[in-house]
Amino acid sequence: MIDVKTKITSFFIFNSSFGPKEGEELKRVLFFHPNHISPDARKNQVGLCEAVVKFMSTFSSEPCEALQTQTKRYIFYQPEKGYWMVLVVTIPYATKATSAIGETRGEVLNPSIMSDLLVSAYKMFKLFMGSFKDIPMENIYSTCEEFFNPYIMSKNLTNDISDLIQGVSYLPLDKNCFFKVICLIDLLEVTYPDFKCISFVYNDQLIWNGLATNDMLTLYQYLVQTLLPKQVEKEIQGGAVAAAQRHGRFISPPDGIRTSDDLKKLVKVYLRCEDDTESKQYYLIIYRTLSATMCFTIDVNTTLEIETFRSLDAFIGPHLSTIASTISEQCALHALQTAQMLGTDQKFVYFNRLNLAYKSSASLSKLVPSTAIKPEVLSIIADIHTDRKSLGNYGEVIIKTPDEYWITGKTSNEREFYVIIQEKNANLKEIADEVKRICEAQMKGIFFYPM
Amino acid sequence: MASTSKDNGQAGPSSQNNTPDDLEPGACPESVLNPSDYFEEFASEISSSIQERNTSLKTKSSTISEIQSEISDVNNEITSTKSSDDLQSKDENMSASASSGNLSEQNGEESDNEKDDYLQSPELVNKEKHVFILSSAGKPIYSRYGNEDKLAGLCGVIQALVSVVEDQNQDILRSIVTKDCKAVFLVKGPLILVAVSKSNESETQLVWQLTYAFNQIVSVLTLTQLNRIFEQRRNYDLRRLLSGAERLIDNLLIFMEKDPAFLLGAVRCLPLPEKARENITNAITTTCHKIRDLVFAILIAGNQLITLVRMKKYTLHPSDIHLLFNLVRSSESFKTAESWTPICLPKFDATGFLHGHVSYIAEDCQACLLLLTVQRDAFFPLSQAKHTIAEKLRRSNCLVAINDALTRNVELPTTNPLKHIGIPEIRHFMYKCKSTAQLFTSDPISLDRLQDYRIRHKEGGDIGEKKIEKLSDIDYVRNYRKFCSQIHCTSSPAKLIFRSNSDNTVLAWVTNGFELYVTFDALMEKDQAIKAVDRLLRWIKREEQRIFIMNAPTF
Repeated sequence: MIDVKTKITSFFIFNSSFGPKEGEELKRVLFFHPNHISPDARKNQVGLCEAVVKFMSTFSSEPCEALQTQTKRYIFYQPEKGYWMVLVVTIPYATKATSAIGETRGEVLNPSIMSDLLVSAYKMFKLFMGSFKDIPMENIYSTCEEFFNPYIMSKNLTNDISDLIQGVSYLPLDKNCFFKVICLIDLLEVTYPDFKCISFVYNDQLIWNGLATNDMLTLYQYLVQTLLPKQVEKEIQGGAVAAAQRHGRFISPPDGIRTSDDLKKLVKVYLRCEDDTESKQYYLIIYRTLSATMCFTIDVNTTLEIETFRSLDAFIGPHLSTIASTISEQCALHALQTAQMLGTDQKFVYFNRLNLAYKSSASLSKLVPSTAIKPEVLSIIADIHTDRKSLGNYGEVIIKTPDEYWITGKTSNEREFYVIIQEKNANLKEIADEVKRICEAQMKGIFFYPM
Repeated sequence: MASTSKDNGQAGPSSQNNTPDDLEPGACPESVLNPSDYFEEFASEISSSIQERNTSLKTKSSTISEIQSEISDVNNEITSTKSSDDLQSKDENMSASASSGNLSEQNGEESDNEKDDYLQSPELVNKEKHVFILSSAGKPIYSRYGNEDKLAGLCGVIQALVSVVEDQNQDILRSIVTKDCKAVFLVKGPLILVAVSKSNESETQLVWQLTYAFNQIVSVLTLTQLNRIFEQRRNYDLRRLLSGAERLIDNLLIFMEKDPAFLLGAVRCLPLPEKARENITNAITTTCHKIRDLVFAILIAGNQLITLVRMKKYTLHPSDIHLLFNLVRSSESFKTAESWTPICLPKFDATGFLHGHVSYIAEDCQACLLLLTVQRDAFFPLSQAKHTIAEKLRRSNCLVAINDALTRNVELPTTNPLKHIGIPEIRHFMYKCKSTAQLFTSDPISLDRLQDYRIRHKEGGDIGEKKIEKLSDIDYVRNYRKFCSQIHCTSSPAKLIFRSNSDNTVLAWVTNGFELYVTFDALMEKDQAIKAVDRLLRWIKREEQRIFIMNAPTF
């Protein structure tokens, strides 16, 4: 949640063209959090940001990204022309003096996590509400309130590497098992031509996707960070898995689909499916059995029949639960194998920009906060991750910090691999060899050069 | 250099903790330069609150009056009135010309509308780095490119931004960034300094450069005078006092972009045989030890220090020496005649002037001697001393040694260090000895190349995508900027960085004693790099007497 603890002072959205005349400045503010800030203070904040944006435009054709003052950092994001999202965070200007005073860095979020937060907030907004420019001016204030208030309250912000490098965790499956999943999807789309399967997720890992990569990440994040955790909580509270759940149910809309009234509650989203050239509006239907979740889209212009949904439920339920059990057996086996390979003081992250595949050592998952990465180390990884140019198409960087952390980053075309080792008396060569060993063990068949 | 045994051979970047003491080339117990941590000092100069900033510029005590009071028992009369005298004479100039200041003020307002157009004019557009200096009232003082008169509108905007952040938010504006551009703001005393840069320099590095630019102004006016001018007339047009200093700032900005001395906060020394340097130092000390008010005697050549003899207790800060380098290099007039000039060294004492006798040592030698004193009418005794020194240097063949070093005689091992060291994989390196704040790089400056860079820079300072076939030294230095900033980063510093990509391999390594940056061939093996660095350090150690000043002579 965005609050004092994470040092976010405010979050606002403005568009200067909405109140061009003097006296109408407040109209430019589409959304402002926190709510209790006075209109005058809002005007001042937005006014400063407008001036900063204008000032930089005289020197650079690129949009403004950040404003740093002694105590705060303003992070800017312009998702659509004229629309600016600004996040204001308490991050003191880094000097030796301030760091000596004992401003514990651990409490300060990494700036690049902050700017990613704005990007994902916008993408989520776009997924459910569409583009800013397509929303009529009289509705835009209420639409922003409606979306961003709950979004801000629900968003969980941590200094975590998975917030820094946002990717999708894919589930590795053997050929047969994967084939079963594909067969189910094909069979379904043939039997129910209005339905398109856009993703198949097991636990929080993706198996199949039918969206353009950008939308895939947003939908995946919605599933894994928002929808599924709530669902899992419900299931746990419900005690033993009820018979109905074994056979699956619709989890979006939240109350399931039983009567034709429920059809009116279907969630609409703006998505780009693989064959689409641009985003279109669809109904989003999500179905879940055991730990397997499937997402479908239906064109909004289709006439919906409750019968279709009932028959789909009957068809998909048994199939999906069989597949889910098979996958679960495989997962257990796989987890056992990888756990044995890695020492606990070594952490790695793999990321592929092309398909957003993300893999990290078990000790880095959010479930084990005790071994979280130190903010200094995270900030070094953030630098490597954001500064792609310095490593080029293939390259390697090894950095040693004063407290004996060795951070290695490798890139090879669109792939990245990071290893964190804490080792007192190692030398460059030993670290490089260790990284090579981890790379070979964990990323079998993925080639990094130089070796 | 006692033990070069096998086990030390592993010492490279492998294990900082057991770096043998003998592998700290250039270290010596007493330093001519003030080796206090350059980077920390810069950080502490940047005040962290508005209140602090308002007081920080005024509380320093005057080193010069301290020296003066020490010697005042002899010549009491002259010194007591000295520094205030000076300020008054400049003040008179100021008020005489102040009336015309009003005119340009009005012009500034009118051109506001043309501002955007002017910023897009060929003079200003597409520059890699702009530097603007204005008064806190928003009056333009200096612009690196274009005509600052036409930039009154822009300066108004900058002043407004700075004051809005201060007044509304009780905060200090530091920087604004876009993907390809950084604007860095520094408010110091009555001035606002802004750099707008598309270079790869970090924010901190840009702040240093602005601080240097501020110091350059202080060096011309003294801080006392600068503050007083704006206390008296907030709207004062400082340009009338700075005529001539624009060129100094211009040159300083180029100098800072090119010379790693600024990146590392260190001073380059002219490599000389130990004996020659000793003779030069002796010539100066024997000649000058009787001149009581002499604070520093400095011999420099081609932005490199040959020797520095000082009054006991006082040392010079590297950044003051950089300003002296810049002054000498920017002033052609020193070449033709002996000069007598007031110089304020901001780190040494920002409140008053030292008086400098500046002259080139001989027609046939490009070394420049600066004799800095607190005595305002010591020209003739110092001129006398200079001639004696020059004569002694010629007799002891020191001028030849200096010329050999300057013209990079091929027989000297330091002329082409890489060839002499014989590690073909090393393309470039730079080394800083921390305890003496001295620097050595694989490309000792030669005069013709300096000239070359300035000519190239004349053509613009424009951003251009040129295909680089062979990297020049300046390109290597540019490349190191990111490494330097990461090594000195306040929040997440690094002790060692090894980066290898398809262009090259760079190793940056900092220990308690030194900083080392090496560029190798692309895809260098780590163990080979370790070995090469070890050999490199040993070579520097072997040549340390030649490439560094290893003692701290006094009068």
